Amino acid sequence: MDWDWNFVAEITPALLQGLKLTLLITVLSALVAAVLGLVFAIARRSENRLIARPVSFFVEFIRGTPLLVQLYFIFYVLPGAGILLPPLVAGVIGMGLHYATYTAEVYRAGIENVARGQWEAARATNLTTRQTWVHVIIPQAVPPMIPALANYLIALFKETPLLSAITVLEMMNQAKLVANSSYRYIEPMTLVGVFFLAISLISVVILRWLEQRFGRLAK
Amino acid sequence: MKKTLLTLALIAAPAAVMADTLESLKSQGFARIAIANEPPFTAVAADGSVSGAAPDVAREVFKRLGVPEVVASISEYGAMIPGLQARRHDAITAGLFMKPERCQAVAYSEPVLCDAEAFLLPKGNPKGFTSYADIAADPTATIGAPGGGTEEKLALEAGVPRDRVIVVPDGQSGLKMLQDGRLDVYSLPVLSISDLMTKAADPNLEMLAPVVGAPVYCDGAAFRKEDAALRDAFDVELAKMKESGEFAAIVEPYGFSAAAAMSTSRAELCGE
Repeated sequence: MDWDWNFVAEITPALLQGLKLTLLITVLSALVAAVLGLVFAIARRSENRLIARPVSFFVEFIRGTPLLVQLYFIFYVLPGAGILLPPLVAGVIGMGLHYATYTAEVYRAGIENVARGQWEAARATNLTTRQTWVHVIIPQAVPPMIPALANYLIALFKETPLLSAITVLEMMNQAKLVANSSYRYIEPMTLVGVFFLAISLISVVILRWLEQRFGRLAK
Repeated sequence: MKKTLLTLALIAAPAAVMADTLESLKSQGFARIAIANEPPFTAVAADGSVSGAAPDVAREVFKRLGVPEVVASISEYGAMIPGLQARRHDAITAGLFMKPERCQAVAYSEPVLCDAEAFLLPKGNPKGFTSYADIAADPTATIGAPGGGTEEKLALEAGVPRDRVIVVPDGQSGLKMLQDGRLDVYSLPVLSISDLMTKAADPNLEMLAPVVGAPVYCDGAAFRKEDAALRDAFDVELAKMKESGEFAAIVEPYGFSAAAAMSTSRAELCGE
């Protein structure tokens, strides 16, 4: 158990390369999760049962199965049906879709929290459904959701190592490659932990700020 | 949490008492071996039973040493040597080929299984690959290889950049990725590729063997450096089995050449 700083210097570039990819995956997946989650939440509230029911079932299905299984399915099974996605795209879709089902629940809570009187007022002033959502409901529903959404963003970030199972060379996979040729785990794994911690802490600060900045508007 | 455990294991490892390993294996009644799941080197059946040439040889040698059983755990090639050093296994019997840098890290027995390298390719070898250098020369070609395996290292040494050497978790995934067009080449030892070809029975694939410029490698059972005594005892029994023909009786049904293993030595393969 001896720590070798020279070895650390030698492997850091490879790990930073992996970190870049990890961050890219996190940002893209978070975007997918944020947008798709809202779509799911609104669709589940639809008065048209032909929309609400299948979407509810789909959301429950994704939420109730492990992400790793879904990744294997997207990467190894879908090509059989002619859908061949590059590893990165498959990973972003898998993670984005999975987390969209969680964010959908957050959106649902936020939307249901908007006072009934607001809906009634929107109807009374003759706003269309679209105008009601865009100008009345969403602006009031989103700010209280920020802490919960931020939580999922950090969780998503920390689950990116799962993508090493579908050959994405993110940080964890890079660390394993380094360990594979050096037979040392202590430095690569410690560094991976340190990088994850550093990014998580920075994001917490940014998210706190967002919360204060936009959370206040709701009041 | 995982990291904590790993760190603890690393701290605990050097502190463990260096008693006579063979004696302690005898008294506990089993030895822990690291295997991959790459037939015919190592194979795990659907019911969990372990076979393959390397574990079969190890099981027989350990039996003769007075250790009645082996308990196998599946590991990535790259994780085997660190796992051995962290005392998670007592020996590696997985077709982990002897190369000088590995000989530095572990104590190998005399050679057990020898094989050349092969490529699994789409039918007709459309890009005309015959060596790792050919893949390096084609800027769009991707090659699949096991993580930490000999083929990955050969590809990297030949100059294939890291992002074109795809780490494939197991043979089945590699086969699927080649069929789906995600890989241009999948590289494993000859017998592993021919085993995959037989199982896949896919007329759109073909094997190229041996890969030009890649030597024949042999594996051995690998032990911790400080367990050289155990390794020496293993070698004695292995040599007896080679002489009596029992060694050939185990490895030849799997397709390995006993003569190839007997015609070379650790000293030669490790470059000692």
